[in-house]
Amino acid sequence: MRNLPRSTWSTPALWVGALALLGSVWASRSAGAPDPPRAIPVKVEKVRPVRDKLTTLRFLRANRDFIRARYDELIAKPVDRRGASDEIDPRFLNYADLLNQVHAAHDTMGRAEDERSRRHLLESIAQLGALETELDRVERQLGAQRTRLALLEDDFTGRQRTTLLVVVQGFPAGASVNEIGIKIDDGSMLRVPLTGPQQESLRHGGLLEIFHGAVEPRDQVVQVTLFGSAWPAGDSGYMTLDPLRDRLTFLKLDLSAVQPAQGGASVQASTWLHEAPAQPIDG
Amino acid sequence: MRTRQGRPVRSKGLALVAATYVLGLLVAAPVMARDPDPFAARAGLDVARSAAGSWAPDAVLIYVENDEAVAADGTSARWGYLFHSKTLDQVRAYSIRDGKIVVAETLDMKFEAPPLATDWIDSGAAIEVGDRIAATEFKKTGGASLSTMLLMRGAFQDKDPDQTTWTLIYTSPSAPSLFVVVDATAAKVRRTWRG
Repeated sequence: MRNLPRSTWSTPALWVGALALLGSVWASRSAGAPDPPRAIPVKVEKVRPVRDKLTTLRFLRANRDFIRARYDELIAKPVDRRGASDEIDPRFLNYADLLNQVHAAHDTMGRAEDERSRRHLLESIAQLGALETELDRVERQLGAQRTRLALLEDDFTGRQRTTLLVVVQGFPAGASVNEIGIKIDDGSMLRVPLTGPQQESLRHGGLLEIFHGAVEPRDQVVQVTLFGSAWPAGDSGYMTLDPLRDRLTFLKLDLSAVQPAQGGASVQASTWLHEAPAQPIDG
Repeated sequence: MRTRQGRPVRSKGLALVAATYVLGLLVAAPVMARDPDPFAARAGLDVARSAAGSWAPDAVLIYVENDEAVAADGTSARWGYLFHSKTLDQVRAYSIRDGKIVVAETLDMKFEAPPLATDWIDSGAAIEVGDRIAATEFKKTGGASLSTMLLMRGAFQDKDPDQTTWTLIYTSPSAPSLFVVVDATAAKVRRTWRG
């Protein structure tokens, strides 16, 4: 800059260019991480989309009382007759006692013989036994190590389910958002309060994860509700997602363009799949 | 002169539009009117189980039923699968069509059925067994059609409630419905009755 002739900087065109450059740098810093190229915009609607309702399990619904009654019968079946018992003849009990005495005598003799032969055997293989114990110990350690590795492998590669990760970016200039609600189809609403530092971070391009969990691999409506001074009771926007089975789906909610009048429907949303396919969970 | 020259041009144009419209309909019709591919009960299980696992990690399959008409080969355009979660104390149904979940619904009912055995025969094999009985039973009264088939454990098999069984329900306009209970592991008829 110092090498540039003074007259060059006085030209209006260059000033405009420099301002534009500064503006773009500021904009890129405040806009946060850009969406990946494969991100697809998601339409956010003001009204929950209405879908055709198909019936399922007609026979079960029509006969639910009958089927439930059958299962109840399996659990407990009362009988009319009283379960009274007769007294046992004391002689029968005595026979059992005699038999037990015979068995006990036999066991005592057998145990003595076993002990004698075992002692002899143990003396002769004592050294071999010690070696075997050592080998067993090593094998146990290897087995435990294998189990630990298998657990780690399962946790990080083998048990991937259909999951959704929802992140929030940007912060509206004309309204304040104190809390965000997420409701996935017929589930319950998860409300995530936005703390002061989190709001400040969002203003400066930060990303905030508000949901990461298992979802069903099907077409479903995700409801996002904004709470704030402009919407004390909350204002919702609805979007339709179809998370792919056994994959991680990202959903980004950009609040920077949110308008007080439009509320949740003015959230800008985009979605994309995590690149690395996860291992299937079934078979 | 202009009129005579103009007419053929206009009619040619109209014919072209009409031909394009008809061609468009012919091309679009199979796509628009495509019926869902029928499949056997087991084919939809993976998708349903995957969803159930997301709903509740301890979910177990307790019931299967055809949601659309069943064909003679045991296929249907839509099957319903019901799962039970002990931790949630709830049952959730998934209806599968074309490899996709078209209905997911937590049922407003208590239904603590035991889990199904894992080695159950598919719907086609169950129908093969059931049809033989139905053919004999309906020989005098005329034809019957299979209206419902359901896979469950316990409810219809008094002698051995632990068995996972297919229950096939045949209906006829001229006779009471026929229930055929097929052992879903051994592929044998265990019980029949009219009702």
